[in-house]
This record gives sequence, C-alpha cells and structure tokens, in this order.
Amino acid sequence: MKHSFLDRYSNLDSFIHKLDPRTKFIIALVFILAVISTPPIRWQVFALYLFFMAALLLLSKLPIFYVLKRSLVVMPFVLMIAIFIPFIKEGEVAGSYNIGLWQVSVTYTGLQVLWNVLIKAWLSILSLIWLTSTTKLPNLLKGLEQLGMPRVMVMILSFMYRYIFVVVDEVMRMRQARDSRDFGGSRLCQLRTIGNMIGTLFIRSYERGERVYAAMLARGFDGHSRTLDRLNFSQADAYFGISFSLVLILTSVVNLLY
Amino acid sequence: MHIPDGFLSVATVASTCVVSAGGIGNAVRVANSKLGEKHVPLMGVLAAFIFAAQMLNFPIAGGTSGHLIGAALAAILLGPWASVLIMSCVLIAQCLIFQDGGLLALGANIFNMGIIASFSSYYLYRSVTSFLGGNGRSKLIGGFIAAWGSVFLASIACAIELVVSGTSPLAVVLPVMAGFHALIGVGEGLITAGVLSFVAVTRPDLLQLQRI
Repeated sequence: MKHSFLDRYSNLDSFIHKLDPRTKFIIALVFILAVISTPPIRWQVFALYLFFMAALLLLSKLPIFYVLKRSLVVMPFVLMIAIFIPFIKEGEVAGSYNIGLWQVSVTYTGLQVLWNVLIKAWLSILSLIWLTSTTKLPNLLKGLEQLGMPRVMVMILSFMYRYIFVVVDEVMRMRQARDSRDFGGSRLCQLRTIGNMIGTLFIRSYERGERVYAAMLARGFDGHSRTLDRLNFSQADAYFGISFSLVLILTSVVNLLY
Repeated sequence: MHIPDGFLSVATVASTCVVSAGGIGNAVRVANSKLGEKHVPLMGVLAAFIFAAQMLNFPIAGGTSGHLIGAALAAILLGPWASVLIMSCVLIAQCLIFQDGGLLALGANIFNMGIIASFSSYYLYRSVTSFLGGNGRSKLIGGFIAAWGSVFLASIACAIELVVSGTSPLAVVLPVMAGFHALIGVGEGLITAGVLSFVAVTRPDLLQLQRI
C-alpha cells in the first residue's frame, strides 16, 4: 500500500535538505518561540517573520501549493476559536449583525484575539512543515537524541516509525474487509465492530511486539541500538544556523524594546 | 484536541513542557526498571497500534465523526506509566509526521492526552471495578466510565490552557469544549468497552498483564 504521504519531499535536493537536522530543528524552535512571544498589534513584525519563512521555503524548493494546502490543518482549530469571538465583550464594538433573533456584536478586542491566533498558528505551522518536509524522520530522531532527548524515547519512536507502516497496512486491510461486508447497521452496531477491530489489532500488535523482541534477543540485543551513519554538522550549518537564529532573536528583542 | 502552536502563551507552553518532560522522564524510568530492555520494542509496536487505531473513524452526529484517543485503553491494559510513554510517542509522531498539534504545544498536548487522560482513566477504572465487585460486567462498565472520563477531563484541561493563555473566554470555551467532548467521550467509552470485552473473550490472559 501507499505511504508516500510520510515525509514525502524529504528526498529533494536543496541547500536546506543538506543541512543537519539539529540546525533545522533549532531554527524551527527559535522561529516558533519568536512568533508566539510577539504582541498581536505588531503586524510589521509578523510580516517580517513571514518574509523569513518564505525565504526558507523557497530555499528548500518545496512545492508552494503543497505547503499552503498542508498548512490548512490548523483551520478547524482556528474556526473553533473564531466562534468564541462574538462572546468577547470588552472593548469598542466593530460591528453588530442581526442573525435571526440574535444580536451578535463583534468587538475590536475580539477581532484582535482572532488575528493573533490566526497569524501565529499559521506562521508556526509553516515552520513545522518546513522542518518535517525537508528532513527524513530517522535523521530528525537522531538529531533529537543528540540534542538531549532521552535515548529510550528515541528508540521507542524509531520502532514506532518502523511498525507504523505494518500496522497501518493491517488497519487498511481490516477496513476494506469490513466495508466490503457492508458496514451499516445502527450506530451502536458500528461502534461494536470498531471495538472488535481494535481488539484484534491490539492482540496482533502485542504478539508482534513479543516476537520482535524475541527476534532481537536472538540477534544479540542488549538494550542499545547501534547505527552506522553519523550526522555531520558542517560549517554551512554553523554559519546558517547561527546567523538565522541571531536575526530572529534580534528581531524579537528590538520588537520588545520598542 | 491537538492544540497547534500559536494558541498558547509562552508561560503556558513553558509550564506544560516542564510537567510533561518530568512525566515522560519518570515513565521511562518506571518502564526501564519493570520491563527491562523488553519495553523498547513492545512500547514501539503498541504506540504504532494506538496510532493506527486512531485512523478508524466513527460517526457522532450530524455528519461529524470522531476517533479514539486511546489513552484509556492503553492505561487499562498496560498501566498509567506505560500509557504516558505510548501516548507521548503517538503525539510526537503525529506532530512530526502530520503537523497534527504544534511543536511547542507538544508539552500541553502530552499533558492533556497523555498524563491527565492516562492517570484519570486508570484510577477511574480501578475504583469503578472494585466498587462493582470486579466481575466481567464491572470491567466493561469501568472501561466505559474510565474512557469517557479521560476524554472529558482532557478537554477541560485543554480549555483551561486556552483560557490561561488569553485565547478564549472561560465562560464560553469551557462549556463548549466539555459539552462537545462529553459527547465524543461516549464513543470512546463504548469502543473501549467493546475492545475489553473482545480481548476478554479471545485472549483473557492479555487482561492480566503486569501494569506499570
């Protein structure tokens, strides 16, 4: 089955793709931190951050349409917040509308909260897409390990990444089998079917986990995983990472002072 | 309930990250001491299991659908610390693969759906089953209540984080989040009970695993 949806563009060849995962992770982290600590009224600063992000995305040669489409995943959450906006009562009224019997009024404070959330969420998701689409997950995990994430956690995540494909395949097969037998009936009946499917999946996964462990023991597993490929932190990483982070930090410091 | 970046203030991000990092650290320590090196492949495969189980959608009402969170199931079958570990891996993978939930918001998401959901469901399950006498039927009722409670409490924690960050007013977000998830929680509860009854029939020994 097809799993190309996972880190699909991480095989492209660009300056960004060649950077060390650690550099990219730190840049993304500093970027998000800078974005979320900016006060909402500074639209110029957000424009500047958007410009930085656009530069990073262009350098990485990712298809821009794909990035924009992907960034829409934050929309449901933004909409959920948006429905609360009419209920923020403080501040000057920007406009009021009659919807049926309801008098809905929107205040400037409310609009500001929405704008704040919208722009911050969107910029952050762009940087996360940039990070994960230019880095292969195993490399990213290795980078995270060297940045201090617990070894055990990284190993569990690597195993998970290895078996996600197997288990997801299994779910897809089960779903196909269910649908071809007409998945109908009452809601309770459908939930019961899903319960049985997940139960089967749990038993199979648990048994698979035990078999994998036995196979690993037979091959001399002692609690450590050793790999041959090393990450290499080049000069380009140092220059690019330090200069980009400095620009971000400078922007947010200047922004806080004025 | 996956909070993206940008919805939480820096103070909320920092405090939830500290709590979640501590929780994960302790979960790793407990799993290491109780299971030895066996926990690494087992937790990895079971995290993939929860990840895949979340792909099965069920209809709620009016064309919307929900999916299992799975923290209650993991906590009931394997214990709260194992569940914290598994849910953290699931949430990290969802963030890094699908951008589902933010990077700095991971602390909050792990706190809500990992720590709060796991511990609340584990203790709800234990108290309900012991109150009802511990037979097969009481386990199903316990599973339902535990799973429902885990979703409900996690959504309340999520609402409180949004309020503390100044993103939405308490008087609205709390009833909306709690009300909506009280409904989703019924689905989670019924599926969890369904899984428990299925496992009890086919592999009852897997319900007697050592819980950590």
